[in-house]
Amino acid sequence: MQAPSIRSPALLKVVAVVVTVGFAFPAGYLVWRNFTFHSDPLGVLFSQRTQGPLLRTLRLAVLVSASTAVFGPALAWLTTRCDVPLKRMWQALLPLPLVFPTFIGAAALIRTLNPGGLLSDWLDNLGLVWDVEVRGLFGAWLALTLFTYPYVYLPVAARLRRLPGSAEETARLLGDSPLTIIRRVVLPQTATAISAGTLLVFLYAISDFGAVQLMRYDTLSRAIYTTRLNNQPVSMALSVILLVLAAAVVLVERGATRRFEHAAPVRSRSPVMYRLGRAKPIAVAFLAGSVALALLGPLASLGDWTIDGIRLEASGGRDLLVGWDDVWSPTWHTAYGSILAAVVSVAVVLPAAYLVVRYRSRIGTVANAVIVSAFALPGILIGLALLFWTLKTDVGSHLRNTLVLLVFAYIVRFGGQTMRTSQVAVAAVSSRLTDAARTLGASWVRRFRSLELPLMAPGLLAGGGLVMLSVMKELPITLLIAPFDFPTLTTKAFNSIEEAFVAEAGIWSGVLVVLSGVLTWFFVVRRADHFD
Amino acid sequence: MALVPLVPLLSVQSLSKSFDGVTVIEDCSIDVGWGEMVSLLGPSGCGKTTLLRIIAGLEQADQGTIHIAGDQVAGNGSWVRPEDRNVGMVFQDWALFPHMDVAGNVGYGVPRRKRAEDTARSLELVNLPGMQDRMPETLSGGQQQRVALARALAPQPTVLLLDEPFSNLDTALRRGVRTEVRQLLRDTGMTAVFVTHDREEALVLGDRVAVMDQGRIVQIGSPAEIYQKPATPWVAAFIGAVSMYPADADGSVAHSDFGSIPLLDAHQGPVDVAVRPEDVDLRADDSGTATHIVEDFEFQGPDAMVTVVNPAGIRLLARVSGTQSFAPGDRVCPAYTGPPAAAFARSDPD
Repeated sequence: MQAPSIRSPALLKVVAVVVTVGFAFPAGYLVWRNFTFHSDPLGVLFSQRTQGPLLRTLRLAVLVSASTAVFGPALAWLTTRCDVPLKRMWQALLPLPLVFPTFIGAAALIRTLNPGGLLSDWLDNLGLVWDVEVRGLFGAWLALTLFTYPYVYLPVAARLRRLPGSAEETARLLGDSPLTIIRRVVLPQTATAISAGTLLVFLYAISDFGAVQLMRYDTLSRAIYTTRLNNQPVSMALSVILLVLAAAVVLVERGATRRFEHAAPVRSRSPVMYRLGRAKPIAVAFLAGSVALALLGPLASLGDWTIDGIRLEASGGRDLLVGWDDVWSPTWHTAYGSILAAVVSVAVVLPAAYLVVRYRSRIGTVANAVIVSAFALPGILIGLALLFWTLKTDVGSHLRNTLVLLVFAYIVRFGGQTMRTSQVAVAAVSSRLTDAARTLGASWVRRFRSLELPLMAPGLLAGGGLVMLSVMKELPITLLIAPFDFPTLTTKAFNSIEEAFVAEAGIWSGVLVVLSGVLTWFFVVRRADHFD
Repeated sequence: MALVPLVPLLSVQSLSKSFDGVTVIEDCSIDVGWGEMVSLLGPSGCGKTTLLRIIAGLEQADQGTIHIAGDQVAGNGSWVRPEDRNVGMVFQDWALFPHMDVAGNVGYGVPRRKRAEDTARSLELVNLPGMQDRMPETLSGGQQQRVALARALAPQPTVLLLDEPFSNLDTALRRGVRTEVRQLLRDTGMTAVFVTHDREEALVLGDRVAVMDQGRIVQIGSPAEIYQKPATPWVAAFIGAVSMYPADADGSVAHSDFGSIPLLDAHQGPVDVAVRPEDVDLRADDSGTATHIVEDFEFQGPDAMVTVVNPAGIRLLARVSGTQSFAPGDRVCPAYTGPPAAAFARSDPD
C-alpha cells in the first residue's frame, strides 16, 4: 500500500520528545555531573580502584554469557526437538527461574550448596563430606547462569519450534547425519536468537547488583554501591565506566542484529524430531538437574528458612521479626509500584510507537532508539544519578524520597521493554479500520477508545506485564531511592538476608517469588512463542 | 432527496496529488449526478483508489476542489475532515471491526438513540436480518461484504464510495453479489462511486464509466460509449479485446485489406481502426486465393476466438460462433459487420 501521507500530529511529537528527554535524563545527568564536578573520570579510570572492578565485571559477564550460550540452546534443543519424556512439563518449568531476583537466588544457592547448607546436611546423613564453597566469582557465575539462562532458552526454543522442517529434511535426503544437520542447518538458523539472548545476558551480568553483592564479588555495580557514600568521585567515575560499557554492548547488539538479519522463519506444523536413543537417560538427568538446581533447590531453601524460623519461635527461641500483618504493607507497595510503573510505561512509550509504526517519523526513530537503549542502563546507575540529583540540586530536592521519583526511575529502567510489544500492537490496528471509522463520523477520541485501544489491549498488556515483573524484582534502584516509608518486598528481603534474619528473608522472598511466579506464568511462559 | 437539485451531488474539479514528488492524480475532474452510479476504471496503480480516498477526505489533494451536495469540502485552503463529510465507504478488505459483532459494526456510525432501529433496517436492506450477534470472523466473505455495505449505508451517507468491493470474493460469488448490490443501490436511490480494475464490473455497475490511466481521467461516458467510441487506442484496448487495424480513411469510410469499415468520425489518410472481434465475420475460403491465414483458434464454449494474420503479419481478432471451426493455416476471408468504428490517425506510417 501507499506510504502514510498524513503528517504526524504535533501533540504526539511533543509527548515523544518529552518522554525521550526523560529517558535520557539519568544517563545525561551522570555524564554531565562527572565532567562539571571535577571528579576526573579519566584519572580514576586508570587507577587501581577502577581497573579491578572493571576487569571483574568483564570476566563475570564473559563467563556467564559463554555458559548461558551453551546451556540455554542445549535445553531448548532437548525440549523442542528431541523425544524426551514429559516435554510439556520441562517446557513449563524451564523458564521459571526467571521468578527469582538474583539476590534471592544467590542467597538460596548459598543456603543450598555451601557447607552447612541443605545439600551438605543431606550428604552428611549419607556419610559424605561436602566442602565446596559457593561464593566470589564462582558463586556469582553460578547464580547468574542459573537465573538468566531463560533469556537465551526462550528465544531459541521459540525459534526452534518455528523453523520449517523442510530444510532439515532436505539435508537428511542429501545424506547429512543428524549432528551435521544441527551444525550446518539448524545452528545457522538459530544463530540470531542465540546471539540476541546472549547479549541480553551479558547486559544483565554487567548490570547485576544482587548476585555479586551476596556473593561478595566486587564488580563495578557493587563497587559503585559501596563507594556511593564515602567516595562519591570514585562512585561517579565507576558509573561512567559502567555506562560506557553498557553503551558499547548496545552498539555491538545493533551491529550484530543488522548483520545477521534474515527472513523470519515461518511456523511449521511439525518441526523435525530427533531420536535420542541411548542418550535419553543422560538428557533427562540433565534436564532434571537443571530444574533442581535453578528452581527446586532455591524454592526448598526459602521454605526451609521460613519453617526453621517459625519452628524456632514456636519452641521459645528468638521472636520472628515479622508479624503476618507486616507482610501486607510491603506486598501492597510492591504491587502498587510495579502496576503504576507498568501503566505509565505503556502510556508514555505508546506515542513513540505510534510515530514509528504509523507515521515513520524521524522523531519517532530517535525516541525509539533512546527508549530502547535506556533498557541497557544498569539500575544502579539510574538510582545513583537520581539520588545525587535529589541531593545536589534544588529542583531535585523536591522529589527526594518521593514515589514519583521511584516510579520515574523504574520507567526509565524498564519502559523500553514495552516498545516492541507496543509497536506490534499499533501495527496490529490496520489503518483501514481507522479510515472506516472516520468515514462513519467517529472523532479521534472515539476511534482511539472504541477501536485502537481494544485492538491493542493484548499487546499493551503483555508489555505492561513484563515491566511489572521486572519492577517487582528490582533491587538497586529501590534500595537507593525508594521513600523511607515505602518498603517493598525486595528491600525487606534484601535487608533481612544481609542481616542474616533468615526466617524473615524466607517469608519476604517467598511472597515475592509467588507474586512474580504468577506474572511470569502469564506473561512469559504462556507467551513463550512470542520471544523469537 | 427533497428538492430537484441544480448542482451535481459530487463535483470534483482539477484535482492533483503527488506523493514524494511522484504525481499520482493529475488534473482530474468529474461530476456525479444525484442517484447516479459511476465506475472509476483503470489498471492498478493508476490513482483511482487515491482519487476515491481524496473524495472521502482520507487523503488531501495538492490542488483542486471538491463539492458534495453543493458544499465545498476541499480546495482553496478549506478542508472538511472525513468524519464530517457524511460520505460512506466500503473498503477493499471490508475493514470490519474484528472485535465488534455485526450490530456493533453496522451501528458504529449511527447516533446511539437510533442505533438498534437503523442497524436492523440496514441489515434487512442487505438481506442479513437477525445477524446482529455474529462476529465478523464467523461470516462468509459474501456476508462480510454485505455487513460492510450495511455499515456504510446505516448513517445514510450523501454519497457511497466503494473501493474494489468485490475483488476479495470468489469469482463464482462475485457475479451474484454484484447484481444484488447494483439492485440495492438502485432501489435506495444511492449515489455511488465504484473503483474497479475489472472492466466487466465497471460496465455492469456504472451508469457512467470514468477510465483512468496514469493519474488522469482519459474518458468519461456511458458504458456503451466507452466500449463503442473509445477516446484513445489505449482505452479501446483496455475496455475489451480489440485489433488496431490499419486502413485508409476516406471520410466516414476506411478501406482495409479485407474490405471497408464504416467510421464514427470522418478521417482522411492512414488510420488505425479499433475493430472489436465480435464485429468480424470469417468465411472459409473456397477459392484458395484469400490472403488472410488463421494463426490460432481458441474454443471458448459458446463462441471461439480466432486470430488471423494478413501477409504483412498484422493480426486481426474475430469472435465466431462456437459451431464454426477453423484450424491454423486455413485461408479465410474476414468481413466487417459491426457498427461504425473508432479510428485514430496514424502518426507512425508503418
